[in-house]
Amino acid sequence: MPLAGACLVGLGLISFNRTINRLRKPVAWLLISCVGAAAVLSYTILAQQLAGAGPTEVLFNWASAGNFNLQMGFRVDALAAVMLALVTTIALLVMVYSDGYMAHDKGYVRFFTYLALFSSSMLGLVISPNLLEIYVFWELVGMCSYLLVGFWYDRDGAANAAQKAFVTNRVGDFGLLLGILGLFWATGSFGFEEIGAGLQEAVAGGSLSSGVAVILCLLVFMGPMAKSAQFPLHVWLPDAMEGPTPISALIHAATMVAAGVFLVARLQPVYEPFAAVQVTIAVIGTITLFLGATIALTQQDLKKGLAYSTVSQLGYMMLAMGCGAPVAGMFHLVTHAFFKAMLFLGSGSVIHAMEEVVGHEPVLAQDMRLMGGLRRWMPVTSSTFFIGCVAIAGIPPLAGFWSKDEILGQAFNTYPLLWAMGFVTAGMTAFYMFRLYFLTFEGEFRGNDKAMAAQLLAAAGKTGDEDHGDAHGNLADHPHESAWQMALPLAVLAVPSVLIGLLGTPWNSRFGALLDPHEAAEMAEHFSWGEFLPLAGASVAISVAGITVAVLAYPLGKLDMAALFANRFPAINAFLTNKWYLDAINDRLFVQGSRKLARSVLEVDSKVVDGVVNLTGLMTLGSGEGLKYFETGRAQFYALIVFGGVIALVVLFGSLG
Amino acid sequence: MAFPWLSASILFPIGAALLIPFVPDKGDGKQVRWFALGVALVTFLLTVGGYLNGYDPAVEGLQLVERIDWLPQLGLAWSVGADGLSMPLILLTSFITALAALAAWPVSFKPRLFYFLLLAMDGGQIAVFAVQDMLLFFLAWELELLPVYLLLAIWGGKKRQYAATKFILYTAGSSLFILLAGLAMAFYGDSISFEYTALMAKDFPAKFQLLCYAGLLIAFGVKLPIVPLHTWLPDAHGEATAPVHMLLAGILLKMGGYALLRFNVQLLPEAHAQFAPLLVVLGVVNIIYAALTSFAQRNLKRKIAYSSISHMGFVLIGIGSFSALGTSGAMLQMISHGLIGASLFFLVGATYDRTHTLQLDEMGGVGQKMRKMFALWTVCSLASLALPGMSGFVSELMVFVGFATSEAYTLSFRVVMAILAAVGVILTPIYLLSMLREIFFGKENTELASHTNLVDAEPREIYVISCLLVPIIGIGLYPRIMTDSYRASIEALVRRESSAMALVMPTPAGNLIRQAGLQASLQAPALTG
Repeated sequence: MPLAGACLVGLGLISFNRTINRLRKPVAWLLISCVGAAAVLSYTILAQQLAGAGPTEVLFNWASAGNFNLQMGFRVDALAAVMLALVTTIALLVMVYSDGYMAHDKGYVRFFTYLALFSSSMLGLVISPNLLEIYVFWELVGMCSYLLVGFWYDRDGAANAAQKAFVTNRVGDFGLLLGILGLFWATGSFGFEEIGAGLQEAVAGGSLSSGVAVILCLLVFMGPMAKSAQFPLHVWLPDAMEGPTPISALIHAATMVAAGVFLVARLQPVYEPFAAVQVTIAVIGTITLFLGATIALTQQDLKKGLAYSTVSQLGYMMLAMGCGAPVAGMFHLVTHAFFKAMLFLGSGSVIHAMEEVVGHEPVLAQDMRLMGGLRRWMPVTSSTFFIGCVAIAGIPPLAGFWSKDEILGQAFNTYPLLWAMGFVTAGMTAFYMFRLYFLTFEGEFRGNDKAMAAQLLAAAGKTGDEDHGDAHGNLADHPHESAWQMALPLAVLAVPSVLIGLLGTPWNSRFGALLDPHEAAEMAEHFSWGEFLPLAGASVAISVAGITVAVLAYPLGKLDMAALFANRFPAINAFLTNKWYLDAINDRLFVQGSRKLARSVLEVDSKVVDGVVNLTGLMTLGSGEGLKYFETGRAQFYALIVFGGVIALVVLFGSLG
Repeated sequence: MAFPWLSASILFPIGAALLIPFVPDKGDGKQVRWFALGVALVTFLLTVGGYLNGYDPAVEGLQLVERIDWLPQLGLAWSVGADGLSMPLILLTSFITALAALAAWPVSFKPRLFYFLLLAMDGGQIAVFAVQDMLLFFLAWELELLPVYLLLAIWGGKKRQYAATKFILYTAGSSLFILLAGLAMAFYGDSISFEYTALMAKDFPAKFQLLCYAGLLIAFGVKLPIVPLHTWLPDAHGEATAPVHMLLAGILLKMGGYALLRFNVQLLPEAHAQFAPLLVVLGVVNIIYAALTSFAQRNLKRKIAYSSISHMGFVLIGIGSFSALGTSGAMLQMISHGLIGASLFFLVGATYDRTHTLQLDEMGGVGQKMRKMFALWTVCSLASLALPGMSGFVSELMVFVGFATSEAYTLSFRVVMAILAAVGVILTPIYLLSMLREIFFGKENTELASHTNLVDAEPREIYVISCLLVPIIGIGLYPRIMTDSYRASIEALVRRESSAMALVMPTPAGNLIRQAGLQASLQAPALTG
């Protein structure tokens, strides 16, 4: 088992140093097979865990000074095994997909290299045995995200988004680092269980006040907040959609953003005893899920809509963590990873197809106002997208229903108010997902609407005069279904999206049995249809209501959302389309603020500090000019002065000391 | 007698430099540069030879000692040696100089003089780290200023005279303090001696220590540099050419850190116990202040120069941390910054050769033309912002953990300082990534491309950077290859300073309660586990 894990990391690490190779396909296939091998290994590990193998830890000394040792190594347990299998599966499918999606891109090899690098860092993250190693890989996945978001570096948007993503994540890491330091100071350890036990001990023993412990826990939580795009550090995620779509699917929907949730799950032994921490996590999760869903209601960009939906779903996972139900949160993480990856890959397929019509201009190719009716030409994409929508909306028996319902059930028992928010949001989720679906795949195709295209370009501040369509020549009238490399992963992902939920039915949760057998057994024991049905029924009902509204509004045109809502409450509409004004506030407060501060510091530096120095220099030169008439130029004289000074000092101190 | 590795590596480059006028050369500098590169490489091999043959990392005291009486009347002896504090830096010096010689390939103006100075500097800098005698140290310290002054004043940019004068005034002025303090220490007590070991044995009174400490702190603070004594650095760096740059950032700044450890901490431990909180505060000021100025800078060279200042703040915190881990981290940060700073400055020079501008506003979008350059820049910037897997991360982490767990300070002081220092963790990526964005990202820069020739990185440049990246990543992946080489010495040093602190402050305020708490929490997991 440890050997298998080592091979896994080794493979991942070996797999990225191949850029020199200019052969496109062989490199891609080499990397894909590396990840494939890793996937096979992960499934072996998962199978072993299912068979009941215990957690395994291997450590070695990494750095040491004095009596202090930093240990690195890896740890494989049920949680890690689940994540391993999840990450490798999705990474593998996304790589196959990218082979089609990026086929014409200049940076094809670079793209695959980054992908492999990301996969290995992510695998490293999930098998890390202590907080410090998590921090290492945490940063590394952040770096890969930076590189991949900024992949198309000739686009200004991508450059800004990449930087924003990295810096926002660094803000979270700032807290994480301080929290890790603080926890280490308090408990003398970086391991999860040790910290948990040590912290409790310290609080119980009175050497550490519980307030400090809570603050430390919350500092560590800042890391997951940034990585998992929780309010108010979620702002980077929608912008990160500037990256290539496979990246959005892999990093910004399925794996990296889930790392935060994963870390919180890992830290359960630390967080559990502190109710204040749990409440905070739950509340932040709830704010996030509500915020994400409301903003998603008004997005016109297909990918951004999905991005806000991701934000919202991550909020659900955090809510679960805050309710003390890590199993439910992890379960939603897994189901969400499958269907959201599928949705993103579907949207990539749509964008790829739209580019045939409107040209390589993200402002046009991703806007739903130019889509519509795509179902006719893209049957695979549209049907998988439909499955994804149903799954995320929470209609049984698809995956999303089981996991989301489990979270809502937990929330209902713990924090009824937060449950209500989550419940309402579930309805919104169903509405906005079907809105996306209908706008994209149903109705008339609007891709040839040149007036709308020009208007969108103008709104984006781009020059519409050199028509992007003509610049690229032979544009099609209508899009086509994507190649098999892209269609196949969609179809493959559809299977778990439908079925995986059945692993986590509340009365017989295999998933729970793997992660926490004790709790699963208890849950199965306490399960009663009487409790389950009303809650589940309510969830389904509100989802159906959301879908109904969407159906009425879009394909049937019975409800005019613009007239009904946007016109009547322009303030709310503006509030939502401007993403709660959070970007504007950040920009005003932090970006401009830090620029101004930096400029004034520089001003001080060059005017005041340097000014004093130059003044001194000038005065010295001046006095030197004056002094030179008194000096004789004899070395003995200088030596005498220096010597005299020294003697004076020694005498002075001799008498004083 | 064993082969005198250290003396050889000091005298060989200087002696060889004297031969440069006799190197046959057609006037284009080609032979001279091969000669200089060869000499620099041999010097590097000499230091490596010394490390492998005569140096045992497990010994905490001096090794490779060579001692010859020079001027017995003055008590002056040629005495060199190396311990954990100096050996890594000696290796770093000869390594960076060899690379700088390679980086100096495009220098065509007065090549003989240029390489002469380069090699003289090599010997001088190794001497600074290797000598074990206060007076020799002072001589080497001064000797090494001259080449820098000339290298700045002759090969610099437009404001080179100003920058060079400023540099020489600053550093020469500050060395006065070294001389004074050194002489005072040497003449104190019954015996007159300049040797470190003899000075260490002397028992200076507290006030004397404090005064000497303050003087030395100013002297070395200029070199390191410590805000507000830093203003020579942006000017000097802003005007220097790439190879001089590499030496300035790679080695010269480390002389300040080394000297702080060697003199202030080792010779004046009781004063250090008093001054250490100040060092930490200054370190934090360095980190934040310089990061902010770097962010606002529009000139590429000056931006990187300020980022160097910011990184040296961690060295200060580490030195002031009173823990083996933190001091180790300071040492590692010096080495790591020597490598990373050198690589960044080399890249600045290489970029300037192509764009002929250092103003960020005039750049942008050059990533299209210079892909390899872009990749090298990205890797080095990520190294500089302390990405895990690279050396900067390890050293900063060691400083953080060392400082946070140090028992020398009260909890609130540590919390505030750690939080402020961690702000640097946010600021560093902001200015470095903004810089990358402004240079490389964006649409192709047709205006710049129209009047300059933006060729991509050539093999020589990639080679130089790879040479620097190998140790950067090597240390990042497995830091013990470096830390083990000086561990014993650092531990001895920290023991010395800790015992001095116990002397100065028998009951440091608020520490006893804290220690009790730590003990309890340390035992807790052991009991439960």
